Amino acid sequence: MTQDRWSSSDPELTNALRELYAAPADEHYWNDLEARIIAYVAAGNSSEESESWWSYLADMARPGLVAAAALILAASALLVHSRQLEVSNAYASVINPAPPSVEAATTRAAAIGDGDFAIHYLISH
Amino acid sequence: MLATAAPTTSTYRMPTPSENALAERAIVIAAQRGSDDAFSQLVGIHQRRAYAIVRAIVLTHEDAEDAVQEGFLHAHRALDRFRPDQPFGAWLYRIMANAALDLVRRRKVRQAEELPETIPMPFRDPAESGELKERLQQALTHLTDRQRAVIVMHDIEGFTHGEIGRTLGIPEGTARSDLHHARAALRRLLQNLRSRS
Repeated sequence: MTQDRWSSSDPELTNALRELYAAPADEHYWNDLEARIIAYVAAGNSSEESESWWSYLADMARPGLVAAAALILAASALLVHSRQLEVSNAYASVINPAPPSVEAATTRAAAIGDGDFAIHYLISH
Repeated sequence: MLATAAPTTSTYRMPTPSENALAERAIVIAAQRGSDDAFSQLVGIHQRRAYAIVRAIVLTHEDAEDAVQEGFLHAHRALDRFRPDQPFGAWLYRIMANAALDLVRRRKVRQAEELPETIPMPFRDPAESGELKERLQQALTHLTDRQRAVIVMHDIEGFTHGEIGRTLGIPEGTARSDLHHARAALRRLLQNLRSRS
């Protein structure tokens, strides 16, 4: 007998295979499976929708974090710069006191008189 | 005098395959437009064939049910990408086969994680079990997933080589070759049992 004796026409093995792979014959089983498939699809799609909602937020999160970090850095830099400016201004005001204003000098000139004002002005400068 | 009713002749005739295809196309288009009823109809039409395909690939009835559910979920999600001028069944069954192959792969990964060392198949004396079916079940586990799918789809479900190729995404010649090798492997694995009986 040759090795090729087994083929799909081998009734014994084909029947054994058919028995092994037989689909359920009960009509109720198929109705039940159909209902389970529909429920599974509905549940799967709703979970996909919620996943997509979360993934949308997750997609937004990354650029949002980057923008927030950039804003914080910019605000910090501005704060440091303004503080440095304040400090340097404070030192400058201590080291170099502001010259008397023209208005104050005019007032004093009016009080003292034109001749005296000229002498005072020359002495103070 | 009452007129006698004319004898009723049955005007019903079986729809032709092209009429079935047209009707199915209308259902598919309705499902693509979001009709849940239409999708339920598609499930009702195709679930048995879908089960047969995935059952040929996975090892148990329970896995076949899981794969069918997963396959229909994938199909529903991809429905808007399906072109209605194509045969819906071929498209769906390809998705089913992929779902089943994916399930088999996941099962293997899980088994590999759970069992670090390969555990040999428990030996059962055929004379003791007395059943060709049991031995056959064991022999089928020694085939590759694709070989098992091809032999079951061809010899049990009656698929042609071309249909098998399209469903599994392989050339027709590969399906023929897989069938040949699957038969040879089964012959070899079952040789002892058959020579005893």
